[in-house]
Amino acid sequence: MGAAIGEGDVAAFRDLHTRLGDAVEIAVRGKRDVIDLVLVAMFAGGHVLLEDVPGTGKTTLARAVAGALGGVSRRVQFTPDLLPSDVTGTSVYDPQTGQIRFRPGPVFANIVLADEINRAAAKTQSAMLEVMEERTVTVDGVGHAVPDPFLVVATQNPIDLDGTYRLPEAQLDRFMLRTSIGYPSVDDELDVLRPGSGAGRISAVQTVSSPREVSEYSRRLSLLHVADPILRYVSALGAATRSDSRLRLGASTRGLRTLVRCVQVYAASRGRHFAVPGDVQDLALPVLAHRLVLTREAVLSGVTTEEVLADVVSDVAVPKPA
Amino acid sequence: MKLLWSALVLLVAALHFGRAWDGMLVLFGLCVLLGFVAVLLKQKMPAGLAVLTMLILGFTGGFFAARDAVPGRTDPTQVLLDTVPRLLTAARPAPATPELLTPGLLLVFGVSVVVSVSVARKGNSLFAPAVGAAVLYMSGALLTAGRIDPHGLVALLLLGLLAGGWLLLERRGPVAPPVGVVLACLALLAVVLPSVDAFEPRKLVRPPVTDVEIANPLPQLASWAAMGDTELFRTRGPEVPLRLATLSDYTGASWEAASTYGPLGVVAPPDLPVGNRLDETSVDVQIGALSGEWVPAVGRPRAVSLSDAMVDPNSGSLVLADGVRTGLRYTVRGALETPSDEELAVASVPADPSVRRYLALPRLPFSLAEYARQIVVNAQTPYEKAVAIEQVVRLDRRPDAEAPVGSSYARLETFLFGTNGDAGAQAGTAEQFASAYAVLARAVGLPSRVVVGFQPVPADASGDRVVRAADATAWPEVYFTGWGWVPFDPVSGNGSGPSAASKREVLNRLASTTAKPPTTQASLPPLALPSVAPPVAAPVVASGFKPLWFLAVLLVPLLLWGLRFGRRLRLRFGGAPGAWSYVLDVLLLAGRSPSVHQTAPDVARGLGSAAARLAVLADRAAFAPDPAPVADAWSLARETRKVVRRTVPWYRKVFWSLDPRPLWRR
Repeated sequence: MGAAIGEGDVAAFRDLHTRLGDAVEIAVRGKRDVIDLVLVAMFAGGHVLLEDVPGTGKTTLARAVAGALGGVSRRVQFTPDLLPSDVTGTSVYDPQTGQIRFRPGPVFANIVLADEINRAAAKTQSAMLEVMEERTVTVDGVGHAVPDPFLVVATQNPIDLDGTYRLPEAQLDRFMLRTSIGYPSVDDELDVLRPGSGAGRISAVQTVSSPREVSEYSRRLSLLHVADPILRYVSALGAATRSDSRLRLGASTRGLRTLVRCVQVYAASRGRHFAVPGDVQDLALPVLAHRLVLTREAVLSGVTTEEVLADVVSDVAVPKPA
Repeated sequence: MKLLWSALVLLVAALHFGRAWDGMLVLFGLCVLLGFVAVLLKQKMPAGLAVLTMLILGFTGGFFAARDAVPGRTDPTQVLLDTVPRLLTAARPAPATPELLTPGLLLVFGVSVVVSVSVARKGNSLFAPAVGAAVLYMSGALLTAGRIDPHGLVALLLLGLLAGGWLLLERRGPVAPPVGVVLACLALLAVVLPSVDAFEPRKLVRPPVTDVEIANPLPQLASWAAMGDTELFRTRGPEVPLRLATLSDYTGASWEAASTYGPLGVVAPPDLPVGNRLDETSVDVQIGALSGEWVPAVGRPRAVSLSDAMVDPNSGSLVLADGVRTGLRYTVRGALETPSDEELAVASVPADPSVRRYLALPRLPFSLAEYARQIVVNAQTPYEKAVAIEQVVRLDRRPDAEAPVGSSYARLETFLFGTNGDAGAQAGTAEQFASAYAVLARAVGLPSRVVVGFQPVPADASGDRVVRAADATAWPEVYFTGWGWVPFDPVSGNGSGPSAASKREVLNRLASTTAKPPTTQASLPPLALPSVAPPVAAPVVASGFKPLWFLAVLLVPLLLWGLRFGRRLRLRFGGAPGAWSYVLDVLLLAGRSPSVHQTAPDVARGLGSAAARLAVLADRAAFAPDPAPVADAWSLARETRKVVRRTVPWYRKVFWSLDPRPLWRR
């Protein structure tokens, strides 16, 4: 534990986190909690799934994060006729050199906005998800690494809208966390609507960091201290989801590991060099809810995984500092 | 569902407990159901207040039920406290009278109130029904000295019910504590159940006694003698003399029966110790023409199947307030003192103040005193004296059913010294023989008394022993140290008591002496011996009970306070986590216990800035890798305590420092 993170490192990270959050909030008003979650996923090396109706600022959020980061951001609009190669890139013949050359697709960016990912065919979806997992694109036997940091912000329309292909459950597991932006409050909406406001203008977002800095912190934050009682608490939550009669599939060990990883970043973003039970509770819903599968009876009775998870959290005893 | 199950468990336990009473079983079930009304009340007010209200209601009801049985008392606590020793001294099973039912019903009611409220609380385990059932079961076992459930069948039934409940209703809870409780109950049962050395709560109370004036049955002997063949009652069992009444007090004019009686089941020892060698025997009795309050019994009664029979603890005389009536059947079990002849030959008699009552001869005439002295002039041991008196009283005197009744000094002088012209001279019924013997024995220092009873009769063809009026008799008894009361028979010389052979042996040794009546008899003024019989008045209520209560009332709060203080001291030096734990204690006492999922900062919200700072400190101390910075966590905790206490209602503040609940919090 010699490399454990001290209070000084954490203070610096908190500054950076606050700066990034402030910068993004200029474009996306009144959604600080969602911005924080997206940043947590970025520093934890994961991807975010935003589930929301069109027009709530998903794209703006992704581009604002990219802008604040100073990295490259790309947007892929998923449609039913989108091909895997349209996402990953293809090899093309260069008549001038007479050679086959790889032309990188839109995934070669720090922030990739995969818009309406559930409108694409399964083949294209899995190509996208594979890149997210492997962080390389293999074309004609040659691997091409995507840049670091690499954050995919995918958006998904609510399933009941027409023309959508629901993401398979196994694929959902690839996303570190799922959340929704939702509509802004009345005040924030007025702010957005007011002519001449900076809201929604990506150009107003200042670049306050660099991809390199983010990579560096991302690496170091994985050493943040998480005490045994907290780990035991996470494990107890997992066990409780597995024994809940309303769930067909509880949280996997990978899911719990991801939760711990997020908790580390989240704790640091709160200026602490150690995790507390509250961090786990704050992140349990966005990190675990989309990994759970309800039983048929539960689905029919109209329960959601979020409700089940909330019940589980309120039933499991939190470690007391006594 | 939980409530139903708890009700079922308690119902079984309560009905089982109710078997310690003779009837009115329904009331016990009703009390369980009434107790569950507390659940409805709990929805309107804090659980503690609901319990308090229900208990006050219950005790008020208990007071009004028991009030009539305790005349002259208006203090409710006194009335209710009085019912406990009453119950502990009642017969087993206890008669179903209001004052005896009250403590049992109140216990059932209280247990079911507490259990129902604690089961209805969210998140509470199903512990309470087990504890409640155990309390009722143990009470039943204590009340009957383990006889209520000799094979543990009800205990098994209860355990089965509890185990079923735990398995079906509460699989999530830890298994260890319920199993622990069950094992503890079994261990306790093992202590309570054995009937040999069972713990006996009745030893803790002194029995209440009732003052009853009952006519001395001695004069009746003459009328029975006249009735001849009338069947008084019939018995089944061994051939033993049956006792009707024991008369211990002699006034100089007559014998008097004891006037203080308590319910049978009393374990208070008699004034003189019971003999070392005892034979238990049991007799079934069916009353015929016998009437009056006295109940024929055998030896020193141990148990009788009449629930309202009362007993004089010293003599063992049984009485029935309503009197016996034709057709009454009962079984009486008693202990007979059966010393051997050799043991009696060397036995001594007590001379200490405890036997004063059995030596009292107020204003004994000189003639009788002198006659007694002459009889025993050659006798060396008390036994020799007793045998000599028996011989002399019987000598030359004839039983005569027509003889005048009475046992005054004058009648006895006529009986002993009268010449042929006087009515009743040298002749008498068993009354005179027994009285003369007892008076002479007392005069020479042998503690003695007179027993009215019936001679053993042989069984007829059907095995019944028909006791007729002619079998009624009286005999004297002498008390020997270590061997108890030994009967003598001056009427005929046969019957129970020491064997004829041993008496003959004694008589041969004493053959040289035979007392002669003094020549100057009635002319002498009565020589007054110092009268030593003090009036015997037994205290009316339990007084041995009070110090226990008093001590508990004083010690328990002191102990609780000490434990709480110790805990506080430990937390005081436990750094920030200790201070936070103290805050959690305070919240528990204030009735604002946080739920399991609340983190420290969540809990601190709304408790002021000190609490918020303390929560952060405690979290850091518990979960950070490096030691926390020095901070005065304890003063933050005290500040938080102040904030919390401001919102606490008065009734929680009253027991704030004595409430034991924080001791169970981990």
